[in-house]
Amino acid sequence: MRTKQLVASWLAGTAVATFLLGMTTPSAVAADLKLEAQLIWGTADAKSPDPNHKPVDPEVAKKLKTLPFKWANYFEVNRRQFVVPESGVRKEIMSKDCEIRVKNLGRAMVELALVGRGAPVGKITQALPKKELLVTGGNAPNFTAWFVVLKQAE
Amino acid sequence: MMDHASQLELQAFFDGELPENEAHDMANRLARESDAAALLTELRNTSKALKGFESDIKLPESREFFWSKIERDIARLEQAEPAVRAPEPLLARWRRLLVPASAFAALVLMVVVAARQWELPIGFGSGVRPAPVLETALADSGAFTYRDQSEGITLVWLSYPGEKGVADSGPADTLQ
Amino acid sequence: MRAAKKGDMQAFEELVARHRDKVYARAYSMMRNEDEALDLSQEAWVKGWQRLKQFQGESSFATWLTRIVINLCLDQLRRRKRQPTESIEEIDEDSGGVERQMPVVTVNPTERLERAELRQRIDRALAQLSYEHRTVLILHEFEEMEYKRIAKTMGCSIGTVMSRLFYARRKLAALLAGWKDEELT
Repeated sequence: MRTKQLVASWLAGTAVATFLLGMTTPSAVAADLKLEAQLIWGTADAKSPDPNHKPVDPEVAKKLKTLPFKWANYFEVNRRQFVVPESGVRKEIMSKDCEIRVKNLGRAMVELALVGRGAPVGKITQALPKKELLVTGGNAPNFTAWFVVLKQAE
Repeated sequence: MMDHASQLELQAFFDGELPENEAHDMANRLARESDAAALLTELRNTSKALKGFESDIKLPESREFFWSKIERDIARLEQAEPAVRAPEPLLARWRRLLVPASAFAALVLMVVVAARQWELPIGFGSGVRPAPVLETALADSGAFTYRDQSEGITLVWLSYPGEKGVADSGPADTLQ
Repeated sequence: MRAAKKGDMQAFEELVARHRDKVYARAYSMMRNEDEALDLSQEAWVKGWQRLKQFQGESSFATWLTRIVINLCLDQLRRRKRQPTESIEEIDEDSGGVERQMPVVTVNPTERLERAELRQRIDRALAQLSYEHRTVLILHEFEEMEYKRIAKTMGCSIGTVMSRLFYARRKLAALLAGWKDEELT
């Protein structure tokens, strides 16, 4: 008897859940993604020798400083904003040696491919909700580091 | 001049590895022979110089960073291990499945509401973010991922460029 | 420790934080390479986690984990190709060659050295030893192992341990005294 009740409640629960899911229209589905990519240089030096570099915006700087890295300072080398349609791919040149290709997989999932000096470096598939950062990085000369920061644009 | 065997015996004496009677003989020899005494002094000085050498060596990574790599490896190993369970009676298995059934619908409802609220990628378990999928073009054994849920930041660290690819100087305005 | 043995990751993380420098230092002394030492000490901690239930407290936890990293380093070193100089050193130590002929260093060469300079000299000197000689020295001087235990760890005879240790000590003494290699023969 008890078992029958449990089965009944399970079936009812499943029905309700299915109904609600069917009604749901999450805003992340079937949407173009407006993204921003920044090429950033991490260093221990307080100033960058390149006058074209700018300090990264405070919000990004604050998040980068939560990473367990030794670099105290981050400089923006380049910034690109672009729109990627769902299931589409967008290529952006971040510098003469750095290119990114971003694919919108739908539901705020992105595939970020990094190309360095014309050769593929890596590909990352990750969910990217608003206000979150996807950061890729590696070592650069003189104990500095490069980063590509990808986020949804405001 | 001591022969090689005697020198090794002297060393064993210094290290406390000689049996008592041989140690006694060596002590007498040291009192008579200046070259033996000099060699003992050298061994003693060398040992003394080495004391505390390693205490100055520090691991060159932050506590969090180093731990995150260990944690990741442990998680990966534990995922790879198959769970071994004793077979349980069929009825008990069904009960285990069905007992939380009434809470199941409520949970789904909560997930749906949360996903709509926070515009998360919809799907069951959207509160648990799957790890980013990483493919590297080269056999990048140094690549790893790090996630800080509270800060909303995912880091993917690549070994690119390799040793030879690093330029000699200058600010990195490119991937060098 | 008890908490970590029960699977408490936070407790294990605390152990890592407490002993990571020592474990890394041992790996670095043996490998002479920062990246390798980092990888091997990381691997040692993961193995430590896996084997934690087997740790019965027969030694201190730090000693136990250091032994794990030593074995990992030895495995790694054995996998490498042998350097040509190693075989020359082995011939020397069998016949009591170079180190027998080295004049004894009578004055303490490290007495007036600053700690940093001494550390640098030891660092350079250790790097000039073959891995077998360096390992015997590390196991004896830092790990405080007896000859018998070193022989078992390295898979050689006690006689070989004694010869290698003697050679390593004499060469180190000469290097610390600032002598160049060519002056020794």
